[in-house]
Amino acid sequence: MFTLPQKESRMTTACPDSDSIQGLASNKGDGLERECSRKPDQKPLKFYGVGDPAAVLPSSSPYLSSRGSVIKWFWDSAEEGYRTYHMDEYDEDKNPSVILLSPLCPQLSQSDMLHVEPALLQYPDWRGHLFLREEVARFLSFYCRSPAPLKPENVVVLNGCASLFSALAMVLCEAGEAFLIPAPYYGAITQHVYLYGNVRLVCVYLDSEVTGLETRPFQLTVEKLEMALQGANSEGVKVKGLILINPQNPLGDVYSPGELQEYLEFAKRHELHVMVDEVYMLSVFEESSGYRSVLSLERLPDPQRTHVMWATSKDFGMSGLRFGTLYTENRAVATAVASLCRYHGLSGLVQYQMAQLLRDHDWINQVYLPENHARLKAAHTYVSEDLRALGIPFVSHGAGFFIWVDLRKYLPEATFEEEELLWRRFLENKVLLSFGKAFECKEPGWFRLVFSDKTHRLRLGMQRVRQVLQGQPQLADGAPPRQIQEPRGPHR
Amino acid sequence: MRGQALRYRSIHTQLMEMVLTLRQTVEDHITRLTTRPQRQDLALEEQWHGQAIREQEALLGRLLFQIVSFLPAGAPGDQSAQLPRTSTDSRGDVGGGQPVQANRHTGQMLYQESGFENTVISYDLSNRGIDISALYRLRFRDYDTYQGNKYHKDKNTLGYINLGTSENKLCTDLLAERLSQSDMTYIDEDLLQYADWRGQPFLRKEVARFLTFYCKTPEPLDPENVVILNGCSAVCSALAMVLCDPGEAFLVPTPSHGGFAFSTHLYAKVKLVPVHLESQVTEANDYPFQLTVDKLEQALLRARIEGKKVRGLVLINPQNPLGDVYSQDSMMEYLEFAKKYNLHVIVDEMYMLSVFDEAITFRSVLSMKSLPDPNKTHVIWGVSKDFCISGFRFGALYTHNREVASAMSCFGYLHSISGITQYKLRQLLQDREWIDNIYLPSYHFRLQEAHKYVTHKLKALKVPFLNRGSGLYVWINLKQYLDPCTFDKELLLHRRFLDHRLILSPGKTFMCKEPGWFRLVFAARPHLLRSAMRRFQQVLAEQAQECRVKQLEDAIKEEVSASQPEAPASPALRKS
Repeated sequence: MFTLPQKESRMTTACPDSDSIQGLASNKGDGLERECSRKPDQKPLKFYGVGDPAAVLPSSSPYLSSRGSVIKWFWDSAEEGYRTYHMDEYDEDKNPSVILLSPLCPQLSQSDMLHVEPALLQYPDWRGHLFLREEVARFLSFYCRSPAPLKPENVVVLNGCASLFSALAMVLCEAGEAFLIPAPYYGAITQHVYLYGNVRLVCVYLDSEVTGLETRPFQLTVEKLEMALQGANSEGVKVKGLILINPQNPLGDVYSPGELQEYLEFAKRHELHVMVDEVYMLSVFEESSGYRSVLSLERLPDPQRTHVMWATSKDFGMSGLRFGTLYTENRAVATAVASLCRYHGLSGLVQYQMAQLLRDHDWINQVYLPENHARLKAAHTYVSEDLRALGIPFVSHGAGFFIWVDLRKYLPEATFEEEELLWRRFLENKVLLSFGKAFECKEPGWFRLVFSDKTHRLRLGMQRVRQVLQGQPQLADGAPPRQIQEPRGPHR
Repeated sequence: MRGQALRYRSIHTQLMEMVLTLRQTVEDHITRLTTRPQRQDLALEEQWHGQAIREQEALLGRLLFQIVSFLPAGAPGDQSAQLPRTSTDSRGDVGGGQPVQANRHTGQMLYQESGFENTVISYDLSNRGIDISALYRLRFRDYDTYQGNKYHKDKNTLGYINLGTSENKLCTDLLAERLSQSDMTYIDEDLLQYADWRGQPFLRKEVARFLTFYCKTPEPLDPENVVILNGCSAVCSALAMVLCDPGEAFLVPTPSHGGFAFSTHLYAKVKLVPVHLESQVTEANDYPFQLTVDKLEQALLRARIEGKKVRGLVLINPQNPLGDVYSQDSMMEYLEFAKKYNLHVIVDEMYMLSVFDEAITFRSVLSMKSLPDPNKTHVIWGVSKDFCISGFRFGALYTHNREVASAMSCFGYLHSISGITQYKLRQLLQDREWIDNIYLPSYHFRLQEAHKYVTHKLKALKVPFLNRGSGLYVWINLKQYLDPCTFDKELLLHRRFLDHRLILSPGKTFMCKEPGWFRLVFAARPHLLRSAMRRFQQVLAEQAQECRVKQLEDAIKEEVSASQPEAPASPALRKS
């Protein structure tokens, strides 16, 4: 179990009750048990992996620089699924997170949002207009429940978290240095830190099996962090920081304050920066999950090396608005990131709209969030029930827009090639899922299913998923369906 | 606290202390290099050793940097006993590096500290992070000062007037009005979602149409060749990434606006090889600062001899800061030159609609019937200058080269524009009627008026300048006010302008080879321009006075030293 500071001990209830652990273990069936017991005699599994995007060795171009060729390769390969999806003429099949938007459009078109004045049309303060940074500080103080009011001078505003990752990689690392990141993780970060920064990610591989003191699948432990860090060091890779996504993407997991504290202490011991990406902080639709922002902690182990990121792309469903923000007490880091903001600025008019939107706590609390959470919950319930009916195991913890689905039994062989084949079959049937490899998951067969969509589209999507899976030979047909879902018992 | 205490000592003491620390670090470094710890594993030891060296080197770099950051950019003169303004940060911030200079007349601080604090020095940043902060501060110090204390005709008459940043403030009223119209306010769900990272298709289409029309292209431009990012700085930065590897270079005729150098260096670490142009009209120069293929060739070959790998040529047309427009023939020669040497050509046409002299014909490179090397010709345009909306953050690249376009598109993740903004831009660019009948006529008229006002004043003050009919600026020659004519003196004159709360850009920031040139941006409303020119005149009067005093003192000194030859000459600065 966790060792927690006394005052937070009630939060230990975030771990599931023992019954469901038992249930979980016995549900897993023989295969998994065997695998666990086999572990000690085996050559130890790789607990970490050092990414090297340049290793793809794309064909060089007479027009591009060598880094330009790698960058082009990124574009070409990343776009495949996306383009297929966009070329699809089925119009209803378009938006991955459209569920949240309908209340937003009228809100953003209200007359108080549409203010135009010359100052907004000119070069701004590159950290973001002061009126917006003030509003962001107020907003985060309130929604992150920070013990003391947050300060506008610690806020830097830019056009999305992608830019923020890029800028942080640039100013915290030298070229070739690395950040630690628990995997599976939102794979686009690889590209964000690499494009300009030439920074690599060292994956801390998490397992679906629950072993030792772990209480849930894919659980992050300090031990795993330590091993990955040591491993990277032994390869001569200098690690400068740790990226934590909380709530996690794609697991939908939430770190308890106790766990968070442990990870932060780990980082402090090794003088690592911690970037906490809280881009789903308002998308926790199960209150019982006990989510707490890192900014709510009474005392950060190393406040000068803790940098918090938030954006409106997920919580407000406005990925196309391009708004992201950094909160850090470290002035040197804030200044260095701001020095890059010339390249990642957002329009003054949008900054004004954002400030107006974030200011309206009444609307957010009384209209937007309840509606958002209700819809997320309904969609989640629908999809998870469907999955259960199909006998498909999944991981989900009541946060985020997605369910992490275990389709391993549908792979004839446990390889990433088979995983990709299955993904293509989904694509052919016009349903876009993301395969686990894109998240650096080390076990083939996991998929992320985004459920934040309108009901009729979800229904259609799930129908197509079912069609594909029914056409797919199943492994271990007789085995009982594995249920790896985190139980949703009362937590207090 | 160490940082706090340091701040209250003089810069001199701080420097001494740093030098001592530096020496200590160097000694430690050598010790580490020469002694090896007892470790059984050789490989591990090697590795430990390598890492130790890297760490020490990083530390050395930082210390050196701290020292350098205390030295004001090339400025001579006395800075003793001036306290840097305190910064609120404490960690690892050794006193801050903001160069501070006493105003010799009033004893006040020359620089107001801006929001960007003295926090360049930090052990939390990577070396390149420190580098980025420092470069930014060096380049945008004046701009940030201005941001923190802007002139306002009623509220802040003592604030800074910025004629340094090439920002168009002439028509913000027209734009504010147009952007408030009801067709601009539309929002739908698609605009709030992830779109095509190269720019929304509707906007790329409109940009292609717009450029086809205003660049008078022989064939309609293809939206697939358009990449849209959030500003031309971003376009330059990304282009430098995809065309060059670190340390490779672009050829740039100078004087050239510093933004390009900054944007290609900050992220991409690309160098610039200047092609120095001269103000003198000679056999080789039909007009001041003329660019010729000879000069390009010489600069290129010299760079190659020095082992630099030059990947491209950058042309700004209409030129910034000269306000020149290249003739189609000249342009063709430059393009042929680039083709001959297998260079990319980046043509920055940011000011293409800011040609206000009707006698001048601007021809876009896109209007050429056939480009010598279309796959290596890349055109940049944005709305910051031509449409007075620098705060919109929009820049476009047009290239026939699909590989370049693909690689550039990848940077859409990091330089994206809000869908709402993209929509507004589309609405703006497609409104040809407003652009042609209302906006451009007013804009050009205001440019002409402002230009007329400023050049009239300059003539009255007998300040030589290049009289060209495009851009938002005049390139003026203040050599007569520098004695001796050096970059040090240029910087001092620049500081004197700042003392009088007037910002101009000194020639050095344009990599001009000759000291004494300044760029004066006139795209400001009349009342602002009037105040600015008053300040300008005052500074020149002061400067002239000082030059005269100095000449007199020199004459006296000469007499004295003629009678007492061994008397040491004190620096000119200490005396006035």
